[in-house]
Amino acid sequence: MEKYAQVFVERWHDLYSALIEHIILSASAVLLGCLVAIPLGTFLAKTSIGWVRSLSFTIANIFQTIPSLALLAILIPLLGIGTTPAILALFLYSLMPILQNTYSGFQSIDPGIIEAAKAVGYSSSQRLFKIELPLAIRYIMSGIRLTTVYIISWATLATVIGAGGLGELIVGGLSVYDKPLIFASAVLAMVLALAVDFVLSLFEKKLTKRENSKQNFA
Amino acid sequence: MKKITLLAVLLSVLLLLAGCTGGRTIIVGTQTFTETKILGYMYKYLIEDQSDINVKVKTDLLSTPFIINAMKENEIQMGTVYTGEIYNGWFPVEPTKDPKKTLAQAKQGFNKYHGIMWMDPLGFENTYAFTVRKDVAEKYNLKKISDLQSLAQNMKLGVDTSWLERKNDGYKAFTKTYGLSFGQVYPMEINLVYTAVESKDVDIVLAYSSDPRIKEFNLVTLEDDRKFFPPYLASTIMLNEALKQYPEIERAVKPLQGKIDLDTIRTLNAKVDLEKKDPQAVAEEYLKQQGLLK
Repeated sequence: MEKYAQVFVERWHDLYSALIEHIILSASAVLLGCLVAIPLGTFLAKTSIGWVRSLSFTIANIFQTIPSLALLAILIPLLGIGTTPAILALFLYSLMPILQNTYSGFQSIDPGIIEAAKAVGYSSSQRLFKIELPLAIRYIMSGIRLTTVYIISWATLATVIGAGGLGELIVGGLSVYDKPLIFASAVLAMVLALAVDFVLSLFEKKLTKRENSKQNFA
Repeated sequence: MKKITLLAVLLSVLLLLAGCTGGRTIIVGTQTFTETKILGYMYKYLIEDQSDINVKVKTDLLSTPFIINAMKENEIQMGTVYTGEIYNGWFPVEPTKDPKKTLAQAKQGFNKYHGIMWMDPLGFENTYAFTVRKDVAEKYNLKKISDLQSLAQNMKLGVDTSWLERKNDGYKAFTKTYGLSFGQVYPMEINLVYTAVESKDVDIVLAYSSDPRIKEFNLVTLEDDRKFFPPYLASTIMLNEALKQYPEIERAVKPLQGKIDLDTIRTLNAKVDLEKKDPQAVAEEYLKQQGLLK
C-alpha cells in the first residue's frame, strides 16, 4: 500500500511531464474541435440546405465510430508518428458532441425571440452575437465539457504511436507490471478530467449568469 | 415431479458446460512481435499433431513480463521468452554477461520462484540493438554506442513500450553505463519503430536484433561496446502445473530446441513482416518443410 503513495514522490518528475503532455494533447484537440464544430454547428442550424446538414452530421458521426486504435493506425502513413497524428485523431473524435450540442442549442431558441429581435431592428450578426449565441451557450458548454472529459481519457491511447502523455506511463507500467505506476498515472488522468470539468462548469456558470443579468437589465 | 425433472435437466446442462471448458486445452501466449507468434503456432501444430490436447494461441500480449505474469495466474500455460528477462526483477540474480550462466539462472530461478519450466534455447538470440539509418551512421561515422556521446542530446529515440520502465537493462541503467541520454524518447508499439526511423520521425531506434526490417530498411546496428545488454536467448517456457497434467507437451516441442538459428528466424519473420503472410501459415510451412509435421 505504501508503494502506491511513494510512487507519486519517486516518479513525480515523470508523472508531471506526462501530465503536461497529456494536457497539451487533449487541450489542442478540444480547442481545434471548438474552432471547427461551433461555427459549423451554427451554420448548420441556420442553413436551409438540408443535404449539407445531414452530410455534415453523417461525416462527424462516422469519425465517432472508428475504433480509436484503428484511427491512430490509419493516420500513421499520412502524418507519421508522435503528437500531430494523435491530436488529429482526438480532434476528429471531439467534433460530434460539440457539433450536435451547438446545433441543438440554436434549435432550442424560441422563434418568437428572434422575430422580436428582428422587429426591434437587430441586424443578423447582432442577433447572432447578442441573442442567439448567449441563449445557446449552455448547450455548447455542455458539449465541450462532455468532449473534454472523454478526450482526456482517450488520450491515454495515443502512446502506442509515440505521442506520450499519461498513457505512456500506464502502458509502460503495464509492460513491466508496475502496479503502483499504473495506479498513479490513472489517478492523475482521472483527477485531470474531474478538475477540467469543474473549471469548465465554473466558466459555464459565469457565462450564463452574465447573460441572465444582462437580460434582466434589458 | 416436474420441478425435479427440470432441476435434473438444468444440472446436466451445467455439468456438460463444465465438461466443455475443462477439456484438454492449453493456451500459448505470444507477445506483439512476429517471431513469438510464429513459434506459438509451431507449438500448436506440434502438440496437436502428437496428442489429443487442444492448443489455443493468444496473440499480442503486451510484453514478456505480461506473459510471465499471465502464466503465474495460469491464464496461459506456454510462451516464448528470452534469457535476459531474469534482469527484470523476478528474483535475486548474479549479474553476468555469460549466456550459459544467464540461462542457468533463468532455469533455476523461474522454477524455484515462479513454478515455470524454462526449456533449452531454441537457437537464436533476440537482443536490443541500437540502430540508425545508414546516412546518419555515415555522416557521423557511427560504429558503436559510445560514438553517440556528443550526439545523443540532439537525437530522438524510438523504443518499445517497456524499455523505459525496465529496471536492470532499461533506460536508467543504460544512462549510468554509457553516461549518455537522448534529447527526446518516444516509446511506442515496437512494430512502429522501424517505419518511424525510416520516415525520419526519430533518429535512432532500439530495435529487436532478429527483426528483418533492420536489413530491409538499411539500418546500421551500433556495437554495444560496454556490453550493457545481457544475453537474450529465446527459449520456450511452460507452467510446471500444466506440464504435470500434460507431460506430452514437452516432448512435442523438443525438436525445436537448438534448431532455429538467427538466419532462420529472420527469414521466417520476414515472411510475415515484409511479405505480409499469416504467422500461422508460416509456422505450418516451416514445420512441413523440416519434416516435423506431415
